[in-house]
Amino acid sequence: MASGIRDRVVIAGMGCTEFGERWDKGPEALMVEAFEEALADAGIGRGDIEAAWLGVALDDMNVGNSALPLATALRLRNIPVTRVENMCATGTEALRAATYAVAAGACDVALALGVEKLKDTGYGGLPLRTKGLANDLWMPYGSAPGTFAQLAGAYTAKHGVEAGDLKRAMAHVSWKSHQNGALNPKAHLRKPVSMETILNAPLIADPLGLFDCCGVSDGAACAIVTTPDIARGLGKDALVSVKAIQLSASNGWESQYGEWDGSYVRNTREAARRAYAEAGVSDPRAEIGMTEVHDCFSVTELVTMEDLGLSDEGRAVFDILDGRFDRDGAIPCQIDGGLKCFGHPVGASGLRMAYEVYGQLLGRAGERQRDRINLGLTHNLGGAPANSVSAVSIFGRLE
Amino acid sequence: MAQRYVRSVGAYLPLLRLDRKAASGAFGWSGLAMPRSGRRSVAAWDEDALTMAVEAGRTALAGHHADSVVFASTSAPFRERLQANLLCEALGLPRDVSVSDVAGSRRCGVSALRQALLNGGGDALVAAGERRATMPGSAFQLTWGDGAAAALIGDDGCARLLGSACINVDFVDVYVSDERPLPYASEERFVREEAIALAFVPAIEAACANAGVSAAEIALAVVHEPVGGVYKGLAAVAGLKAPNLCDDITAAAGDLGAAHALFGLALALERGKPGDRILVAGFGSGCDALVLEMTAPCDGSASAETSLREGAALTNITRFLSLAGSLDLDWGPRSELDQKTAASVLARHGRDMHGFIGGRDARGNVQFPKTLIPVSPLADGPEPLADVRLADLEASIVSVTADRLNFTPDPPFHFGLVQFDNGARVSMEFRDIEGATPQVGDRVRMRFRVKSIDRKRGFRTYFWKAAPLERPKLEEG
Repeated sequence: MASGIRDRVVIAGMGCTEFGERWDKGPEALMVEAFEEALADAGIGRGDIEAAWLGVALDDMNVGNSALPLATALRLRNIPVTRVENMCATGTEALRAATYAVAAGACDVALALGVEKLKDTGYGGLPLRTKGLANDLWMPYGSAPGTFAQLAGAYTAKHGVEAGDLKRAMAHVSWKSHQNGALNPKAHLRKPVSMETILNAPLIADPLGLFDCCGVSDGAACAIVTTPDIARGLGKDALVSVKAIQLSASNGWESQYGEWDGSYVRNTREAARRAYAEAGVSDPRAEIGMTEVHDCFSVTELVTMEDLGLSDEGRAVFDILDGRFDRDGAIPCQIDGGLKCFGHPVGASGLRMAYEVYGQLLGRAGERQRDRINLGLTHNLGGAPANSVSAVSIFGRLE
Repeated sequence: MAQRYVRSVGAYLPLLRLDRKAASGAFGWSGLAMPRSGRRSVAAWDEDALTMAVEAGRTALAGHHADSVVFASTSAPFRERLQANLLCEALGLPRDVSVSDVAGSRRCGVSALRQALLNGGGDALVAAGERRATMPGSAFQLTWGDGAAAALIGDDGCARLLGSACINVDFVDVYVSDERPLPYASEERFVREEAIALAFVPAIEAACANAGVSAAEIALAVVHEPVGGVYKGLAAVAGLKAPNLCDDITAAAGDLGAAHALFGLALALERGKPGDRILVAGFGSGCDALVLEMTAPCDGSASAETSLREGAALTNITRFLSLAGSLDLDWGPRSELDQKTAASVLARHGRDMHGFIGGRDARGNVQFPKTLIPVSPLADGPEPLADVRLADLEASIVSVTADRLNFTPDPPFHFGLVQFDNGARVSMEFRDIEGATPQVGDRVRMRFRVKSIDRKRGFRTYFWKAAPLERPKLEEG
């Protein structure tokens, strides 16, 4: 049995751009902005980076393919640079690769940077892409809200939850993220929105209304990771350690085999189970102090609370309405506004989540700072509930 | 040669029906003469002459087999790509079936029926479908309808051929050409008088003589009129006393072109009784006339009555014009997705797609599409899968939504997961939903539809979509 990466790698520095409609910035500027912040935070020079991973999920047409956009934008010193892509888990994949490289001893200092420049597509939402030449012969061209909206009907059918209760809980998810986003100077959406506005918004995909859906953004985020010893050598005394990074990918069971009931995300459960084991977490509700989860849609955050074991099955609706995941709740979720309001530049999102946890663990979160948090969890969900990749990461201070 | 019979029939209409009075009212400002009574059947965006012919063919072929297949249409989506092939694949027929597409005039459906009845050669399926583009403001746009019908011919069945005849005349009541892709009509009075004299009466009289049946002995007439009043005129001349069942189709759905008389045949075999003599007359550049004797109740004939009775009212004229291809809306950047189809991929997978063929693994679980390693968690490596056709099975909805974001030519886009009782689970589009979104657990049936249209390259692909088991009853109109 592998021993895992717990506490073998620490974050030396992080950077994150303002997310949003960055009409005046191209992907190069976004990458440089995030990277320069991380370099300054780490207290190292660009020549100290020994390997790098670039996460770009969708934006080949703008960022470009391969690792070259990163290597060129940052003028890296002919080091190994690799591009990774795994839908909405892309940013976490970049971090996973960099962390593994350091944990393996392949290099001492590695960079993970995610970027996406989606607002040049000319319309809202994710860019349209084929599903592959053979799949296009039969798979429906549903939108992302369309695929996630299907969780709602299956969830209410399974748990006997009233559709109205679910709708209110979903609205609370978005209301809470708008409250939080208003406190975040880097967030895409910084205006509180009333429950009434959320509940009465036009439908995008039944039963998801406009405010149940996150938009997409421009932005970049990055992490420089290294060993605890090297970090201490840089004069850092408070260290944020990677406790776990786990990923789970569908094999067709949900979408092609007759067992899944459509009301939860199996990969989140698998990734969480492994991440808790890797991090040594036995009681998540007591030990996890905050979460940044993949709230691409309000209903996704709702079922994720159950998939992460932070609510009992069928009870997330009521835990949400009781405020358990509000900024001042027992296990705050999306203190930074989440995908809903911080924004969702897809390739950067996993690293943006880590950025907030990192800031909270180091007490740098300003108005959003919570009381002492020992462990923070990030979660990405790419694809659709029926065919997904899910990543769960856990970060904490290195004591 | 053995006596030839109609074995079974099938009829199909799309869900939507446009009220002609409402539609002509919308054009009232123009002063153009348009029909104001009855309804017009309107194909969904993903229905064409072929998909509707498949649906009619499925009904006719239920429980039967075909040795040959003819696809008849004047609005076939392809000029070079044999649609009878696709028809065979969608119907689950083997590759060695004799196939042909026929066209040239709307008479082609009845001409093919006559040939199948005159010739031996096993069981012959004639499936006709029509979705004809028309000019806004033309009477055709409201008098014509979209639909399909089919008949299976064999050596026994429910109606035997007593006699037939044909008269060929280059009589241009309407034409469509390369230079004029939308139909152009001749003067109605000329058509009415000369079609009777030059085509209908000679053909019908010859067919009756060939059958040894007098016109007065005909119990049910299925006469495809080019314009209203033709049957009344020709009946007076020829001595026909029977009602023309095509009137009911024209009133409830419109002129179905190549499928019109076949649809009427299905209706006659539903309404008739053994011993009834049935006249079927197809028109277009002449006339083919057949006299049949009903010998038994007919498989599939109920589909004619039910398809006339069931449907959903379409009241929005701009939606109609969009569906009819007469209004080109700016659907925005989301409609710009390039849907190029790779011919090599189609060659590898097309047959399974058109036939909706999944695979059964060694443990009995069925899946779609087939894969080398089965999806079952119990599988542990590649294994051969046995073909299982899913097209004719019901399924249940596992998850569903009405998606209002992604482009579809007729929003919203309903899709989700469906579960077949044999284990297969497939992500599918739901169609024929007017009103409330279906619920988890609802039962659905499969319909053959256009999957994608590559407008840039003029190509389309076909796949199956899930639809409610039942259609609503139309209010009396």
